[in-house]
Amino acid sequence: MTITLKYFGSLADITQKKEEIFSMDEDMTSLSVLKSKMEMTYEEFKKTNYSIAVNQSMSSLDYNIKDQDVIAFLPPFAGG
Amino acid sequence: MRYSRQISLEEIGQEGQLKLQNARVLVIGAGGLGCPVLQNLAGAGVGTIGIVDGDVVDETNLHRQLLYTLKDCGKSKAETAKNAILELNPELKVNIFPEFFSAQNACEIVQEYQIIVDCTDTIAVRYLINDLAVVKKIPVVYASIYKFEGQVSVFNYKNGPSYRCLFPETEGLNNVPNCVESGVLGVLPNTLGTLQATEVLKIILEIGTVLSGKLLIYDALHFNTQIIDFARNPKAIEKGFINGSQLQHRKKAVEDLSPEAFLEKCNQLGMVVIDVRESNETPEFKRDNVIQIPLDQLEEYSKKLDKNQEIVLFCQTGQRSLSAMHHLQNSGFVGVFHLTKGIESLKDQIQ
Repeated sequence: MTITLKYFGSLADITQKKEEIFSMDEDMTSLSVLKSKMEMTYEEFKKTNYSIAVNQSMSSLDYNIKDQDVIAFLPPFAGG
Repeated sequence: MRYSRQISLEEIGQEGQLKLQNARVLVIGAGGLGCPVLQNLAGAGVGTIGIVDGDVVDETNLHRQLLYTLKDCGKSKAETAKNAILELNPELKVNIFPEFFSAQNACEIVQEYQIIVDCTDTIAVRYLINDLAVVKKIPVVYASIYKFEGQVSVFNYKNGPSYRCLFPETEGLNNVPNCVESGVLGVLPNTLGTLQATEVLKIILEIGTVLSGKLLIYDALHFNTQIIDFARNPKAIEKGFINGSQLQHRKKAVEDLSPEAFLEKCNQLGMVVIDVRESNETPEFKRDNVIQIPLDQLEEYSKKLDKNQEIVLFCQTGQRSLSAMHHLQNSGFVGVFHLTKGIESLKDQIQ
C-alpha cells in the first residue's frame, strides 16, 4: 500500500523534504512500527519530541495504517 | 467614537464592547508574538492587560517586534510595550511584570487573569503555563513559530484538551531543542500573533467557533494551512493538574540564579558547576570547578553524582539548564540551581 508522509518544523530539516510518498508492506501496519522505521531511516528523529497525525487527526501509536493514509509528523515549536 | 466600527457588528454591539472592557488578559512574552497580540487587544479595548517579559529590546528584534523602535533598544520590553499600547489606547489598565515567567512567580502573576496568551519562546515555560492554567481552569491561547512555520491552538477552553494532550512531555533530556537561535521571517510571528488575538476576542465575546481541540498549522513559505484535530487525554490533563497543584503549594525557592548569585555560587567551596552546552558554544566559562557535560549526556553523568551534591547548571540562554535542573530535581537531587538567563547574561562580566 501507499501512504503520504508529511514533515513539519525541524523534522523537515532532518528529512530535507516536506513530504514523500511511501510504499510499504501490508504486514507493517501499525503506527508504532512506522515510527521505528522512520527513526531508523532518520536517526535524528529519535532526538526530537513529536506527535503523529493521521488524516488530519492526532493518532495513537496502535493505529493500523491503511492505504492512502496521510501521516504527519509534528514537533512542538519553541519560538515566539 | 473609538469602537463604533466594531460595535456596529451585530455579533459584538454595546454588550460585546462591555465584555471586552471588563476582560482581563495576561500576555506572557512581549516578543514576536506578544507585540501583535498586545497591539490588537489594546486596539479592540480589552480593559485590563498584563504583560510579562524580563527581556530588554535589542536591535535584532526590530524586524518583527513592531511595538518597538530604535530608541527603545536596551529598555525593558514590558515597560516599553506598556507605553506603546497606552499611547494607542489610554483607556486601558496595563500591569507589567518585567521578569521572566517561572515557577517562582507564576502563581502570583496569573492570579487575576481570565485568559492567558502564550507568546513565550521556551518549551519548558509552555508546560509551566499549561499546568498552572489547568489547575486554575483558565483558557490558554497558544502560538509558536519555527522558521517559516507556525502553530496556533486554544487549550483548556471549557474543559477542552490541554497542551500536554497535544504534545506529551517526554522523559529524559534528549528531546529538548537547542537554544541556538534559528532564523525567523519577520512577518511570521505577526501573522500568528494576530490569529491569537482573534481567538482571545472570540473567547471574551463568546462568538464564533474557538480553535479548541484543533491545531492550526501555517506554512508561510508555501502558503499551506491545515487543521489537525486532537482529543482530550485524561492522563495528560492529570499530569498538568498535579504539576500545577505543586506549583501553587511550593515554597519560595532560590534555585533561579541572577548573574551575581550565579558567580557567588560558583565561588562556593565544593560546588559542582555544569556547563550543559555543546563544546563549540561561546562565550567560554572556565574555572576549576566547571565541567562540560552536553545536555544529552547529563542523564548518564548524573548517575555518578551524590544526590546531596550541590550543583549549578548553566547554558547559553537558560532554556537547557532549566530542563536539566528539572530533570535532576525529579531524579532526587536536592540542591540544584541554574543561571536563569544563561551565560549570555554574563557576557560583560566574563570578558
